[in-house]
Amino acid sequence: MSSGDLYLPLDEAHARASALHAFMEYCGRETRLEFAGYRELQDWAIRDCGRFWQLLLRWSRLEVAGDTEPAVTEFDCERARFFPNLKLNYSRNLLRSLGPGSDDHCAVTAVTEDGLHSSLTRGELRGAVERFAMGLRRQGIGPGDRVIGIVGNTPAAIVACLAAAAVGAIWSSVAPDIGEAAIRGRFVQLAPRLLVVHTEYLAHGVRRSLAQKIQDLLDDVASIATVVTLDAGAFPGRTRVGATFLSRAELEQHGALRMDEWELFPFNQPLFVLFSSGTTGSPKCLMHGAGGTLLEHYKEHVLHSSLGPGEKLCFQTSAGWMMWNWQLSALACGAEIVLFDGSPTFPTQDALLRILDREQVTVFGTSATYLHALQQLELSPKEVGGFGKLHTIQSTGSVLYDAQYDWIGKEFKRVRIESISGGTDIVGCFVLGNPLMPIYRGESQCIGLGMDVRVMTPDGLRRHGEGELVCVNPFPSRPVGIFGDSDGNRLHETYFNQNPGMWTHGDLVRLSERGSVRVLGRSDGTLNVRGVRIGPAEIYGIVLAVPGVSQAMAVEQRAPREPGGSRLLLLIVLQEGAILDRAMTLRLKKDLKLKGSSNHVPSVIVQVSALPMTHSGKFSEKAVAEMVNGKAVSNRAALKNPDALDAIAAHPELLSLLREQC
Amino acid sequence: MSRLRKAVVDWLDDNYHFGDTETLLGGDDELSFLQNGILDSLGFVKLILFLEDTVSVKISVRDIRPANFDSLGKILRYVSAMPGYREPV
Repeated sequence: MSSGDLYLPLDEAHARASALHAFMEYCGRETRLEFAGYRELQDWAIRDCGRFWQLLLRWSRLEVAGDTEPAVTEFDCERARFFPNLKLNYSRNLLRSLGPGSDDHCAVTAVTEDGLHSSLTRGELRGAVERFAMGLRRQGIGPGDRVIGIVGNTPAAIVACLAAAAVGAIWSSVAPDIGEAAIRGRFVQLAPRLLVVHTEYLAHGVRRSLAQKIQDLLDDVASIATVVTLDAGAFPGRTRVGATFLSRAELEQHGALRMDEWELFPFNQPLFVLFSSGTTGSPKCLMHGAGGTLLEHYKEHVLHSSLGPGEKLCFQTSAGWMMWNWQLSALACGAEIVLFDGSPTFPTQDALLRILDREQVTVFGTSATYLHALQQLELSPKEVGGFGKLHTIQSTGSVLYDAQYDWIGKEFKRVRIESISGGTDIVGCFVLGNPLMPIYRGESQCIGLGMDVRVMTPDGLRRHGEGELVCVNPFPSRPVGIFGDSDGNRLHETYFNQNPGMWTHGDLVRLSERGSVRVLGRSDGTLNVRGVRIGPAEIYGIVLAVPGVSQAMAVEQRAPREPGGSRLLLLIVLQEGAILDRAMTLRLKKDLKLKGSSNHVPSVIVQVSALPMTHSGKFSEKAVAEMVNGKAVSNRAALKNPDALDAIAAHPELLSLLREQC
Repeated sequence: MSRLRKAVVDWLDDNYHFGDTETLLGGDDELSFLQNGILDSLGFVKLILFLEDTVSVKISVRDIRPANFDSLGKILRYVSAMPGYREPV
């Protein structure tokens, strides 16, 4: 089969039974228009954007109060606000009753790598959130306060997050395996009031303490007044004057703040802060609004992913990735979420596969990296289990290559493959699955409903072809701001400066005339290492602190043999007379692992005499990235020192890496 | 064998422990990699690729088991006994 061939034809019966089809018919009745298919529905949803989001809101039966007029304040993507006269409570919408008996339906199932299994019904989860919310209120937490978490992918973390949202606080979390410097770089900016933590975590069979990380964070962030531990482990750091340390049981001893007492907040009330690491500066604290997040996720879950009551979603994620927030919202449509905490390949390489089969997961979300690793291990899922209920595999984080479609098709019978793409920046996706369309090998099915996504090419804006992904109309999951960016300049510079009035996402894509999409990679200097997006600035901060290092540049290089299909290269310039020897290489790698994460560690570090720089004095990662990926350097003329590029190109180690690509 | 040992330790240093591998082993070449967090199962995939490139052996996926690879000692014994094994330079 070649690229773009049909992988799965349209299943008419499945299409007609889908929620997307039902919604299309609903819109037809409401607007008196006829929609022959997704393309026509999409054209209308873009043309009449405000009406589309109003109808989706009404059809969804999400609980809101107030006036749905205006749906959107302006047509300009940067300035538009959605539903300024509506109020809602995010957590209420996730935990509300969905009809008789729904409280007894399972909401969350949790499995850990050491085999622990637990579950909560919707009623039990609501009760737990009500108790935690009362505890937060007793600690003085209210609207706009930041509650941060260093937490695993566990039910307790979900309870804490939903309780924070219930009282109008802003939730932000990282995974426990992230390094101290990265934690500090994120949380110091937020001036949080309350910290929620697991005191230890399990990885590859080894239990690791978080006590030191927590203590370091407390030393750096004076605003943290309360620390709540979610597990039974001892927390040895109860030392800071002025802070209250509570176990979860202690926090929850004051009874429950009943759901009907949870206040409704404005549609654009900040709900989550997610961190996007750009090529310069500290990570950006992207604030996502409650209403925009809820409505966009509902659209993605119900219309594009066919989730609803009876469906089980398992997304392989951590609390530090936006897909954690994304999976959480699936509770709003009545789907059950299956949490997995630990290593997917421990104690056996097929550990996660066995869980998917045993838990009868219907939609499995993962990364192209994990699927690639299974292939490398020559692990055959069809020999692990029947996966009888699994109908969809969603892959995100990095590009899912053509051959991976063949492998999935062979190993998981004829499941739908949805290569979805979006990101932290929009806490959702531009590129999604679609039950009304066939699936083509190596391609994502469609652009999400209501999003006028086009490509910016050297010849201008186009509906089809290859170029930078831009969204030209307003969408509700656009961040409501960047924390600390009071005049909006940073948000503007990041997403709107390049193409005024349009959201520029930073991805290169190819939009086909049949509506499918191929994501080609990042267009800026942001790195995508094994599916994890890393800002080079984080790496530079760590590397430049090592004595002897004067300049550094990190770029991603395509490497088909590596998990995730790429590897990280680090180029450094040392102070005069210094040599990059083995001891220094190990020191750099060790610092990057301890202060960043294992994903920050480059595969290769090379010493160069100079780094290419533009005339405005900015180092050009783009030039080096193009060069090490065997492409012509497009901005050579803009370089002040193009000779530096030639010297790098002649570096023997980089040359051999280039040959490996072929 | 000592060259192979050095090559594996260097590889662990280069990719995972950055100079601390010998400390982690604590003089015990039979220490379990999995149980002591020295290597995870995805790391084994990379180690196998490295060994195949370095000592010219072809390792069957069926043989990638703890019994053969879960400690430095096991790796040295298993790999050095393979047909085509060539001591690393």
